[in-house]
This record gives sequence, C-alpha cells and structure tokens, in this order.
Amino acid sequence: MTSEQLKMKKMRIMRHTLMAGLVIMGLVPPALAQTPTQETPPAAPVKFLVPRLADIPDDANGKQILYGRRLVMETARLLPSNVGDVLNCTSCHLGGGTVAGASPFIGQSSASYPRDNPRAGHKVTLEDRINGCFQRSMNGKPLANDSAEMKAMVAYFNWLSADVPPHAKVEGAGIGKIDKTLVPDAAHGKELYGTKCAVCHGTDGQGLKNAKGEFVFPPLWGDRSFNVGAGMARTYTAAAFIKRNMPIGYGLNGPLGQGGALTEQEAVDVAEYFSHQPRPDFPAKVNDWPNGGKPKDARY
Amino acid sequence: MAKLHWFCAGLILAATTARAAEAPADAVERGAYLARAGDCIACHTAPGGAEFAGGLPLDTPVGRIYSTNITPDRATGIGSYSLEDFTRAVRQGVAKDGHRLYPAMPFPSYTKVSDADIQALYAYFQHGVTPVKQANRPSAIPAPLNLRFPLAIWDVMFLHEGAFRPDPAHDARWNRGAYLVEGLGHCGACHTPRALSLQEKALSDGDGSIFLSGNKFDGWFAKSLRGGDQDGLAGWSEGELVTFLKTGTTDRTAAFANMAEVVQHSTQYLSDDDLGAIAHYLKSLPAHQGGSSAAAGTRQAAATAEDHPGRGSANYNQFCVTCHRPDGGGAPHIFPALAGNDVVETADPTSLIHIVLSGGRIAHTSAHPMPFAMPGFARMDNRDVAEVVTFIRTTWGNNAAPVSADQVAKVRANLTQAEVKP
Repeated sequence: MTSEQLKMKKMRIMRHTLMAGLVIMGLVPPALAQTPTQETPPAAPVKFLVPRLADIPDDANGKQILYGRRLVMETARLLPSNVGDVLNCTSCHLGGGTVAGASPFIGQSSASYPRDNPRAGHKVTLEDRINGCFQRSMNGKPLANDSAEMKAMVAYFNWLSADVPPHAKVEGAGIGKIDKTLVPDAAHGKELYGTKCAVCHGTDGQGLKNAKGEFVFPPLWGDRSFNVGAGMARTYTAAAFIKRNMPIGYGLNGPLGQGGALTEQEAVDVAEYFSHQPRPDFPAKVNDWPNGGKPKDARY
Repeated sequence: MAKLHWFCAGLILAATTARAAEAPADAVERGAYLARAGDCIACHTAPGGAEFAGGLPLDTPVGRIYSTNITPDRATGIGSYSLEDFTRAVRQGVAKDGHRLYPAMPFPSYTKVSDADIQALYAYFQHGVTPVKQANRPSAIPAPLNLRFPLAIWDVMFLHEGAFRPDPAHDARWNRGAYLVEGLGHCGACHTPRALSLQEKALSDGDGSIFLSGNKFDGWFAKSLRGGDQDGLAGWSEGELVTFLKTGTTDRTAAFANMAEVVQHSTQYLSDDDLGAIAHYLKSLPAHQGGSSAAAGTRQAAATAEDHPGRGSANYNQFCVTCHRPDGGGAPHIFPALAGNDVVETADPTSLIHIVLSGGRIAHTSAHPMPFAMPGFARMDNRDVAEVVTFIRTTWGNNAAPVSADQVAKVRANLTQAEVKP
C-alpha cells in the first residue's frame, strides 16, 4: 500500500468513525451514514477490540448503552413478554457479544446494516436481525423498533462497534468455520453429551438453576429452549459454536477460558444429538429462504 | 519448570543394602492409602515423570533442589533401605548413608506417624511401587550453603521427635483427625506461619494457636484452617469440609492452586471416616489469639453487580460476570461463588489477587470429570485488578478491606512465566 493509499484509508476510517459517532449521538440517521455501495470495504479484517465498560460516560447516552448491555445479559428476566424461553442474548453471544468466535456484536452496528440476509430473502436492518433472535432463539415476540428497549440494545451494539468502519470485516466475527463434510454420529454425540455437557446443561438438557431458581446454564432442548428456527438448531452451526466456545471456564486462556474440550468431529456429533432433541416449532419457518439456498442442516 | 515451595518434598538418597522380605498384601494396600494421606506423590513425581521417581525441582531460599527417587529400585531408589533406614528417613530426616535431608521433606510432621503406619508405608514403597531406575539430580545450591552439617543443628532445635500421643481429653474421632492433620497430612507445611529459620512456628495446637492460622508462601495465602477463625473455617460445616476434601468443591467455593493438587493427589482418596475426623478436629480449633481476623460484617441483601456504580463494578461486569454471575453466586460445584466465600474476605488478599492474575484449575477428581478452570487476567493493569478485587471484597455483603494497585504489583512480581502466559 502506498503512503497515499494509507492516507486515504486513514481518512476513510476517520470518516466512518465520525459517522458512527454521529449516528450513536442520534445526529445523523443511519441510512445517511452508510458507506456508498461502490466503495470497496477494506480487504484485511479489522482487529477485534472490545471497548471497556469502565469507559462508558456517566451521561444519558452512557445510561442507554448500559441498559442495552443489561438487556443482553438478562434478557429473559427483564423482557418476559418478548422471551418465550429462558435464554438470554448472552447465552449464544457469549460475554454479551464481546467474545471473538462466539457470534460477537462487534461489527454489528446500525452503520453495517441493512445487510443481505439469504434466510429472509432481502436486506434486513439491525433491528430485524435482533428481532430474528427474539422470535427464534428466544422463541418469543419481536420488540418494537421504536421501543426504549430496542433503542438501548442498538445503542449498546453501536458503542461496541464505534471503532469499526461500516461493513468492515472484523476478526473473530461469527462463529468460525466447521467442516460440513463430517458425518454426524448422534449415538456418539449422546455419549459425549453425558460426559462433557450434562454437568452444566443437565442430563435431560433442562439447564442448571442456582439456589434462587434462576437459570445459570440454559436448557438445550424442550419447551424452555430455542425453537427449530434458531441457528443453534442446525447441526453445523451448533457444532462450530461448540467447538470454539464450549464449555466456558475450561481453559486458562481466552476471555472466558472457553472451548478446547471437543474435536471437530466430536462437536459435530454432540451438535447433531442435542439440536435434534424435541423443541418448539417455528411456524413462520415457511417464509425462510424464499429464493432458495437453504443449507443442508436446516431443520425444515 | 514447576516452581514449588521447597518444604513440600523430601530428599532421600539411595544406598546399597539388602531389601526387606515380602510383605503381606493388606499392609501394602494400607501403605498405599497412607502414602495418599501423606501426598508423597506430589513432590516425588516430576511433571510427566514416573511415579515416585523424583526429579521435581523445588526452589528453596538457598537454591534449587530436586526431589528424590523413592521407588524400590536398588541402585537409584530406596530398594536397599531396611525398615530402620526408612523409619529414620521419614521420621528424622536422615538418609541411609547418614546425610541429612533438607526440611523440604516434612519430617517434623512425619515424626508423629505411628510404628504400624510406618511399617505399612515401608511395605508399600518396597512392594507396591514399580521400581524405576532414575538417578537423583544433585542440588544446585552453591557452596558453602550446600554443606549439610548445619541441618543437624536445625534438627536439634526444631525436630521434636516422637510419635503422636492421643489427647485423653478428646474422643477417638478428634484424635484420629489430629493424628492425620499433624502427621501424614502435614497441613501445617503450608498453613502454619514459619519463622525466619523456616521451621513451622507450631506443629500442633498444643504448641500454640498459631498452628494452622494461615501462612503466605509461594505467592499465595494458605488460609487459616482453625474453626474459630472468622477468615478460617468458622463459616464451614464439617460436612462442607468433607465434601471439599473429597471433591475439591462445595456449593460456594473450590480448591485452587496448591490445594487443588492436594485434593487431586491426596484427600479425594481418603475414607469418609478419615475426612470426617479431619473436619471434626479442624472445626474444634479455637481462634488464633492475636491474629488478624476478617470482620464478620452484617450481610446485606444481595444486589446484583450492575446495581453498583464505579469502575470496579464495570470491570466485574466485563470480565467476571459470565461465570461468577451478577449476584456473585457462581454456579454450585462448577464456578465458585464470590459472595459469602471466605477466601474472598481473608484479611490477606494475596490469593484473590493471584488467582485473578494467573487463573487456575479446580481439582480433577472422580466427582468432577470436567476439570473447570479460570483464565488468567494478567493482561489487566494493576489499577484495574485492584478495582475489581476491591469490588468483589466489598459487594454482596462481603466486608473486607480494599486492595491497592501496589498490592497487586507485589503479587504480580512473584508470578511465574507460565502463570503470565499459560
């Protein structure tokens, strides 16, 4: 890269940051802040950097960000009308969306949406994306886009992504790759579940409660778990997540000591087993993948 | 290389005489149990090395020494030891060839082991352990400190020979507990304060209430094990203690650092009767007179972490909350609670700071096929760690003194390379 190109890139990043800041401050509507489509996004993924909660300012915006964070951490308790099971956003987006490889929110900001979504068959907004989780992974009802709760969650997402240029690829985005040619062995998965997973998620997948009756680890199947429309109900999606992230508190590295207990094949086996246990239906599934391209591990 | 405190191991050098005759199988089996109780394997086995073949480096104040081969190999182990040789080594710290062992070998405690138990241990180490040919490594203590004759003076001053004498004022269960704690268990090696000359300041409760009153060493604070001490075992039931020693966890806490290894190698194998006796004895020990004790504050109704303003709370919510939970309650037998966990409130915060920096692993026991762990947070600066540790020590009804960045810096300075970058 020449120095001229570097300078251009720096200016672009500065503009993006400025725009993201203005969006957060509510000064510029998200649509205006979007990168022009003809501009090529930066080739190299940007570093995965988590801003510090301790640096959130003690003002109205800061309070909104913290409220959004709290909704992400304690979704079921705080939004009982919208959460039909007992999961929280952080059940899958570990650390409140701050862990690389655990579907982090960093890079998931208003400035990076609308985005193409093959499952929906059209572009979706960040609010659509969040509501997808409410209806699938949390087997509940969507939040109104103009509700204080949705605005707070979006404010938290935007704060996490303030230093990410719009549409930039971020290191550690998503849940990483898994070899989809591996053939799952559900019987082996059941055995593994018993030895490696049941201690936290319960022998019958019912999760684990503390003495106060609050769920500490989420149920993985049954009425109080995610429905068939959730990404986690798909074998390879679940396997990729498990391989990188399960269990937490197992290793001496990473923000949560997460992952490292299973091989890729074992993750596929155990994912096949638990994802195919009985769980709520998702009637709106009939609208998914209207333009084709349904992945082979979709549950319908 | 593992940095272990030097008084955790023995040094027994081999010599060459005849080996004992075959021992009855039940003596060998009993000896194996007693060797577990004594946790001989912890120091006499190097990481990845053969069991009891020695070679574990131990850093002493005067230099590095290596634990020795106590397998029955005749040339390099203790295969040529007679019962008398073995007894002298275990109880008096004198090897067969007459040289004195460094008191890394806890012979001041082992001197209390009964004749019958010594015989069983001897039977086990002669007939129950696989002989391994592995020469002992010479110590790396520089001259003239490597001269061993001053050890004789140390022994005269600080070794109080004599098998355990039951206290008739107490019942058999209490006496069994005292025998195990003061003798083979050598709990005081870590939990009793030491003098400058490195001897434990008390080897039994009869010597003074400083016995097992808590001791800082190896970058950790080994808590008080006295039932009367608020930051000791005052808040523990005997049942909890048994569960802790058997599994390494309770509903609210978990063994960590050296204690996780003790549970893993030693106490998980002890019978419920013996563990119950140990718990009964420890709970009977009155408060240490003149020691510091954490204030037992009135517990407030537990608020969640997010109800608290400030950087410490923010750090907690960012780095700790996923496992230890907003209410500090953890997950029973999986992730330790921080609310109402007396390790958190101990007057000396060394262990709490240390584990935040280095992380650690719970004991791998038959009760826990998944050995859970905590990642280290050495990447956090001293101020951040001080803030989060202070938050933990002062929230959910916890009522301990705040921690400063300087205190964190001191603990950080003693971390090993492996702890900083596992």
